[in-house]
Amino acid sequence: MNIKVAVLTLMCCLLVAASAQSDRQVRTINLPAGVTVQYGTMSRTGTLVATLDSDNVVRVWSTASGQLLRPLADGSHPPAGVEFSPDGRYLAVTFELVPNEKGVLRIFDVDSWKMEHEFIVPDAFALAFSPDNRRLALSGMVTQAWDVESSKMLADISPPFGGSSGLSFSPDGRWIVTADGDACARIYDAGSGKLRSRTEFLLEPMAAAFSPDGKSVIVGDNDKTISIIDPESGNILRRLPKQPGLILSLDVSPDGKQVAVIYGDANHFLTVDHLMLWDVDTGTVLANFQKRGITVLGGTFVGDHYQFAAVSANQLGVWSLR
Amino acid sequence: MLARREVLQKCLALGSIVIASDFSADSMLFAFQEGEKQKPKPTPPNPLGPFYKRLTPVNNILRAPGDPGLPLSLSGRVFDTRGDVVPDATIEIWQTNHHGLYDLDGYRYRGKQTVDTTGAYRFESVIPGHYPDKSRACQHVHYVVMAPGHKPLVTQLYFATDPAFEGDPQKNYAREPILQTPDLIRPVMLTGEPNEVHAKVRFELCLECL
Repeated sequence: MNIKVAVLTLMCCLLVAASAQSDRQVRTINLPAGVTVQYGTMSRTGTLVATLDSDNVVRVWSTASGQLLRPLADGSHPPAGVEFSPDGRYLAVTFELVPNEKGVLRIFDVDSWKMEHEFIVPDAFALAFSPDNRRLALSGMVTQAWDVESSKMLADISPPFGGSSGLSFSPDGRWIVTADGDACARIYDAGSGKLRSRTEFLLEPMAAAFSPDGKSVIVGDNDKTISIIDPESGNILRRLPKQPGLILSLDVSPDGKQVAVIYGDANHFLTVDHLMLWDVDTGTVLANFQKRGITVLGGTFVGDHYQFAAVSANQLGVWSLR
Repeated sequence: MLARREVLQKCLALGSIVIASDFSADSMLFAFQEGEKQKPKPTPPNPLGPFYKRLTPVNNILRAPGDPGLPLSLSGRVFDTRGDVVPDATIEIWQTNHHGLYDLDGYRYRGKQTVDTTGAYRFESVIPGHYPDKSRACQHVHYVVMAPGHKPLVTQLYFATDPAFEGDPQKNYAREPILQTPDLIRPVMLTGEPNEVHAKVRFELCLECL
């Protein structure tokens, strides 16, 4: 009898959990014929999506209207990286001038589309703005922090080898966390480049982000593990339950209670069709999105849901998950 | 900053270098430039690629008996841009198995070794497979080479026999988008009896001095 009650209770809980979760596609955008999306990112406000496309054009789309707001290109130079500033005012784009060596960074005002800054940087695919938009971290074969206004490099924070896949500033802009190819995560003083702490993993981490209070750092690695780290010591405080795939991207909610994780398949790198929302404190799954044939690009927490962009065939979709 | 050629020209002009009577300044400059041409070029870097794993054991036999795939002997020497042997270099390599899959749980097809006193190294492996989803065009082996006093080298080795190059790697190297030069594509020599064919590849590694 007790077992039956327990099973019934469990089934009810599962049903509640299943019914509590919902995903829906809120916008469908048709891409130009023959164009495929190679990478994409959504502004923190959830109003814009920038896609880095197969025809060497960065396209910026409105999530509300689905309209193409701006194509950005640089002749034959392919775009390498694209990222919005945290307040959504600016878009940074890098174009590759000499592969693995030299690129050009351009920062656009997303209202006027005026180019605010342009300077030569190392060839870089990973970009991150500081919260005040005054600093920018970039990574390709090397990892560096730059002052945007003066177009000057502040610090070379390259790992011993391998560059960095993930970069993120602390909420106060003082620190940078890097997810490094040599299987370490490092936290640096963003101004001086002085190393604050280092955490070793077995396989390389690909994504890292500070909690909104700056008191912890969340790192996802290719060992299918999400670790919560003390930024001062670099010690791993705890881990979330084993993850279902390679952690390509993670996004912490503004209240720090949830993390959205985008997963890759270890044997099929082009398969990025899985997204989960986790409760950071309890380590439980809040929502699970996985659809065959869809590639999840990236998203942001908007109100009570996670809004993200995904592509399938010749369409760019804006989705909501909660 | 002055180039070495300019320094030499200035020294000649200032009389800091006295040239033996049989040689003109032009012939000395010519000889210097010829010497510069013959200096070893550093091995081109290539992105680290996926799945570097720390704590890779010291091991140069990566192939186990009965493993599927064409047996491969990878060998070469490590020297630097001065042309000197680097006897204390450490080489770490990793690759997929014959089916194009990496081992993330363990250390299969991952190995590390320190070169011998002549800078020589050797790994016994198999020719790696293509990625199942064709997300990369070519078979490859990842290398990280470290040595005191030298810039770490991160690169990848490719095979001239790879069907992606269609028999002409000099022409078709860009089939692999991250290749900017054919220098990282090495010839493959097949040896042994018809029923026990074995591939041999030499990959010399040249490090930049710090």
